[in-house]
Amino acid sequence: MPKVYITGLGFITSIGNDRASVTNSLRTLQHGFEHYAPFQGPEVPVKIAAPVRGFQLDSTDPEDWTFPAGYTIKREVLRGMSPNAVYSWCAMQQAIADARLTDAEVSNRHTGLYAASGGSPFLMGHMLHRMHTQGIMKCSPLGIVASIAGTLNFNLVAHFSIKGSSCGFSSACASSSHALGFAYDELALGRQKRMFVVGAEDGNPDAILPFASMRALSLQTDPNLASRPFDIGRDGFVGTGGAVVLVLETEDEIARRGVPVYCEVAGWGQASDGHNVAISHPDGQGLAAAIQLALEATATPVEAVDYVNAHATSTPIGDTSEARALKSIFRPPATRPAISSTKAITGHGLSLAGAMESGFCALAIRDGFMPGSANITNLDPECEGLNIIRSTLPAQPRVVLNNVSGFGGANVSLVFKQA
Amino acid sequence: MVPNPDQPTGPEAKPFIGLAKTFTPEDETALRESLKRCSPSTFEAAVQYRRTGNPEHVPAVVIGVIERFVEPDLRVKLKEADDDLRLIDDLGVDSLTMMEIVVLVEDVLTMTINNDELRNLRTVGDVKLFIDCKIRGLPLPKPTKFLPVEQIVGVMPIQPPFLFLNEASVSSSGANAKYKITGQEFFLQGHFKDNPVMPASIMLEALGQLGVLFLLEGIATEQGKVVSPSTIFFTGCEGVRAHRICRPGDILSISIKPKRTKMPLATFEGSIRVGQEKAAIVEEFTLTFGLEDAATVTPLVRLPVVPAPTSITGLGQVANGTGPNA
Repeated sequence: MPKVYITGLGFITSIGNDRASVTNSLRTLQHGFEHYAPFQGPEVPVKIAAPVRGFQLDSTDPEDWTFPAGYTIKREVLRGMSPNAVYSWCAMQQAIADARLTDAEVSNRHTGLYAASGGSPFLMGHMLHRMHTQGIMKCSPLGIVASIAGTLNFNLVAHFSIKGSSCGFSSACASSSHALGFAYDELALGRQKRMFVVGAEDGNPDAILPFASMRALSLQTDPNLASRPFDIGRDGFVGTGGAVVLVLETEDEIARRGVPVYCEVAGWGQASDGHNVAISHPDGQGLAAAIQLALEATATPVEAVDYVNAHATSTPIGDTSEARALKSIFRPPATRPAISSTKAITGHGLSLAGAMESGFCALAIRDGFMPGSANITNLDPECEGLNIIRSTLPAQPRVVLNNVSGFGGANVSLVFKQA
Repeated sequence: MVPNPDQPTGPEAKPFIGLAKTFTPEDETALRESLKRCSPSTFEAAVQYRRTGNPEHVPAVVIGVIERFVEPDLRVKLKEADDDLRLIDDLGVDSLTMMEIVVLVEDVLTMTINNDELRNLRTVGDVKLFIDCKIRGLPLPKPTKFLPVEQIVGVMPIQPPFLFLNEASVSSSGANAKYKITGQEFFLQGHFKDNPVMPASIMLEALGQLGVLFLLEGIATEQGKVVSPSTIFFTGCEGVRAHRICRPGDILSISIKPKRTKMPLATFEGSIRVGQEKAAIVEEFTLTFGLEDAATVTPLVRLPVVPAPTSITGLGQVANGTGPNA
């Protein structure tokens, strides 16, 4: 089986809209939280979010939208887009430039695209409201393609003329890790030579606030305390959006093109809790099984793992469940691997999470650092015996694990290795 | 009686079919929002229409809505007000953009357009005529028919090398055609010596030929009758003026509109342009024609047809294939 590597990255995130600023935020643990303007009314119990900066996408009319300098999107492209498709379009531009791909290398039968977003509840709500109040024929003709969960792959595949495999993944917060895992398979099985993997979310009120009633969101009003995975005082996650694109290529294709790589995608594992529609298994059984399978699939001894980018979203139940899963694999007293949740500075990107944090892992391996787990003042006793690093370490991890868990008890663990 | 401020007053205060209901200030606000990306004149025309129901304001609204959805660099074409502009080929309107145009037109003019009605709308003129008919409650026009050269050759009594229509569109309101002067036309060898110029008489002939095509394809005849190709002849013309010398390489845009049609005479006005330049004007020309039973029509023997060009570039193959050099 050919080896698979990451050759390009693109970031539109709450901690930066390019690779350099994202790397800087990860090294210095600068967060992307703020008192989010749309949440400041008395009727909104949640106050903090981690919005993407530089974009103005809060109108239901795409022609009102504005972008940071350097990005222009034609009306006929924009009209079928959701906000998360716009973020992805920009992250795609970065990733293509980063991987030094020509138009022909982007558009051919050997290059595919797997994507994941939760669709656009914002535009879906607008479209249905218009349908109910103005009449069935008054919906925007492209309302569907802009709002349902496949909006990301519809838009990107069409506008980047993708000719290879394409698919959308829908396993909530595990979605873009599933996309990455199956993209790896597509390359390892020799079906494709190159895959774009995209994770994205709108990250606006309609995408975030429905999590409030299930008590999943932090009600903190201090941006420095709202997201604190593994801290005993954590009270829920902070919502974010944006897009991250990874370019995966086979070793032959990389040799042919003579381009540098970030790291190897060594393989992955997945397993399900079979337990609850929205709550993780209390002992993290599914996640532990996913990690075990990922280590076996990549012939990685437990003691070889240097760094784990945890899923830990800062919810009371979820973080405990993951801590137990990690302890069952990395038996205490473990001094390694180093473990952190970068959601302490980015917030939780839902379908974006897996791709975003895999991008962070690639940066960590190539640039030689392990991002710390910010905002921990009192470590949850459940985490005792785990090496949760509270500040960024300037050491190069050789083997890195990235975990995600989604609704329905879907768990994915990805293994990245130094090239 | 207290005058109702929402009812039309003044010179436009006559009832129109299109005036469905009163136009409230809320309606005006909604209209302004719907047309916020259109020109101010589009909004003004829409307000006038919604106040009075006068269909005269409709073309400005329709053009304004189309303009709003056309890429900025193509909008200049709409300014030329050529009803023959094709939505897809000339303005880059795809079927989804067409839906956006329809949704906005429906919203602004408070009307409904069905999917099957849409399929026949291919030119700006089609759209204007279609909406005008809908609003006036008139029967919908027959769709514009597009004829590539093989079809023109198939119906016309005039044949190469004396046929000066490469492609044509015929609707109930007139006909348009293109002809590219190839330089291979036999008469250019002598007109003039070492200086090929399209004869003005041939330009008049091209207009006449388009008139013939209109009679064969465009007019409605009584049930069971059709215009007989062998009965059509030229009878006269008035006000013929040539404005521009036309040479090989020029593409003639030929247009005619019927002025009067009454058996056995049909009178047209006609013009020829090259690009935006006027080349020739005919104030009036008249053809005579006769009818025959539809059942007795024997199809014209088709000439072997050279593979047809699909666009104006590379036209003239018919002339090439049958001309003296072939």
